[in-house]
Amino acid sequence: MQNNLELENKIAEKIKIAFQTAEVQVQRKQRIKVNLNEDLVHPFLTFAKNTLSYKHLSHISCVDWIEDNQFELVYILLSYDSLVQIIAKTRINREKAEFPTARNYWPQVETYEREIHELYGINFVGNDHLVDFVLEDWEDLPPMRRDFDTVKYSQEHFFNRPGREDAQDVRKTVTKHSGEELPDLAKIYSVRN
Amino acid sequence: MEITYDKNAQEILSTIKSFARKSSLWVIAYGTGCGAIEIPPTMTSRYDAERFGIRGSATPRQADVLLITGYLAVKTLKRVIRTYEQMQDPKYVIAFGSCTINGGMYWDSYNTIKLLDKYIPVDVYINGCMPRPEAVIQGFIKLQELIMNKKAEGAAKYKENLEWYRENQRKIIHNWRMPEYNW
Amino acid sequence: MDSFWMKILGFVITPLVAFAVGVTYGGIVRKITARIQNRVGPPIYQNLLDITKLYSKKTAVNHGVMQHLGPVFAITASVTSLFFVPVLRDSSFWFNLSFDGDLIFLLYMMVFGSLGMALGAGQTGNPNSAIGVSRGLALMVGYEIPFVLSLVALMIQFQTTSIHGLLAVQDTFSSWIIFQSPFATIAGILAFLGMMHYAPFDVPFAPAEVASGPASEFGGKYLALMMTSGSIFTFVKLVLFVNIYFGGAEDLLTLILKTFILYMIPVLTGIVNPRYRTEQAIQFFWKWPTVFGIIAILIVVL
Repeated sequence: MQNNLELENKIAEKIKIAFQTAEVQVQRKQRIKVNLNEDLVHPFLTFAKNTLSYKHLSHISCVDWIEDNQFELVYILLSYDSLVQIIAKTRINREKAEFPTARNYWPQVETYEREIHELYGINFVGNDHLVDFVLEDWEDLPPMRRDFDTVKYSQEHFFNRPGREDAQDVRKTVTKHSGEELPDLAKIYSVRN
Repeated sequence: MEITYDKNAQEILSTIKSFARKSSLWVIAYGTGCGAIEIPPTMTSRYDAERFGIRGSATPRQADVLLITGYLAVKTLKRVIRTYEQMQDPKYVIAFGSCTINGGMYWDSYNTIKLLDKYIPVDVYINGCMPRPEAVIQGFIKLQELIMNKKAEGAAKYKENLEWYRENQRKIIHNWRMPEYNW
Repeated sequence: MDSFWMKILGFVITPLVAFAVGVTYGGIVRKITARIQNRVGPPIYQNLLDITKLYSKKTAVNHGVMQHLGPVFAITASVTSLFFVPVLRDSSFWFNLSFDGDLIFLLYMMVFGSLGMALGAGQTGNPNSAIGVSRGLALMVGYEIPFVLSLVALMIQFQTTSIHGLLAVQDTFSSWIIFQSPFATIAGILAFLGMMHYAPFDVPFAPAEVASGPASEFGGKYLALMMTSGSIFTFVKLVLFVNIYFGGAEDLLTLILKTFILYMIPVLTGIVNPRYRTEQAIQFFWKWPTVFGIIAILIVVL
């Protein structure tokens, strides 16, 4: 049962025929990964929705590849007929982070795009409702970008309880009191000191 | 107009008032963090907080105690301040869980405050992550002791140092659109 | 002169006794609820402590004149209706203003408090209050119909519109109206369930839905006034029903016994029942209670 990937392979074949440049990979049962070029995402979404009957968009996610100077957008689709998930990925430029909205295909995309806009700062062109989502009145860098230093931000903006900032290792304190030796396997967690 | 009573009479009256306040603590049902999940067992059959006169109340106007159950995001803090200012004197605050004391596991988060008593006055802290219902009831009993000894003066402190509290609050709430309440 | 001072004393004592009995009943109900839910529960004087605390709270809420007058209307209505219900059968001590037709007057007076509260709650501008008020008034329309039908049946049957007249026909145990006119009694008791606002008819005050409804913007002394008025009004309703259907009471002990047993009907129904929606509640009242009320009238007329 586990190795029977007929259905998945069939869907992957169809995608390969329609999109020559896409990297299609059957990851496991009920999951297909598709790597796409930036400009092929919207044709692919329409193709999946209309031809492959992928009526359901589960989620849109984002990954920050700061080393490659790129953002990765991840669209997760589900078909109720075959119950096979498609994970469509694409990379966009990090400096000028813009991408056309998918709101026309699935109205609920608006919320996911709002979230990504708030946490990564990607501007979804065509979505006119990119207002505050979870954070209110945020003025700094979008917080999920990897160049945003959350410790520094929290120490600058919020009060610290005295005694917190020296960050003493609990294990060391305990061993000092009890006189025991810190075991080797515990030492790797005490990187800070 | 202030009516002056005999000193003994005043003392007896204030003792009666403190006793009534102590034995009837209405808690505003406003769960802010994960600690709100500890409140239903505290109130229901197993731990039964009602035998100490602790009861839930639906709106801040009727409440005496504001329970801060866990971490406070900046967005939540705004609502907490508004709720606190709508409550009628005498009012008390119980802060709940290590997140309100020093940030707890959210000590490095970009969006949660770490020291609650810089923003609103706290009468009793209950530590733990999360405190069990026994600890919560213990905290309430501590608050009752404070009320009986007339030491739970958080609201008076807030009024006295309102400027200082406002300054701290405005520091993190950039876009200040809050109504002024006439207490 | 002596009787004048006795009257003044009765005037003062009557509301106080009503308040004390109502508050104690409230506490006992909380205790019974707790015991049924397998809890220890608060002490039976807990409601008194709550009211004392609320009176000692400061109140700094201002939404307009009607908001301040709403609770006052409620307590006025409660005390006024108390003065028209004979507490004991033939006792001149309890202050009473009864006249021929006080039954009809009471029908109006008992609604007055709720209407005052509705005006007060309406001015606070709280949406929960508005929803609670509209639900409360709809519910009132529901239970008033079987109640009035039941009273009309009694009025036709005994040719009287005063409570004293109804008491006069219930001399002996076998002549209680519950035996003389059982259908009217059933309609009245079913309406009484709604009148006491215990579950399943507590939709106007549902704390989880509309944040305690009309009272949501009232705190401190206003809430204390409303609770005081509620305690007195509970006593009024209980005594009224005991007088109408269960032959009244000769002494305080009988009165307390009868009212307590009567009070347990809505309370015990309430503890084991979930909440009706407004339209379900109205459907309930306009179905069987109304039918029973009409049957009672038909029996008398035919």
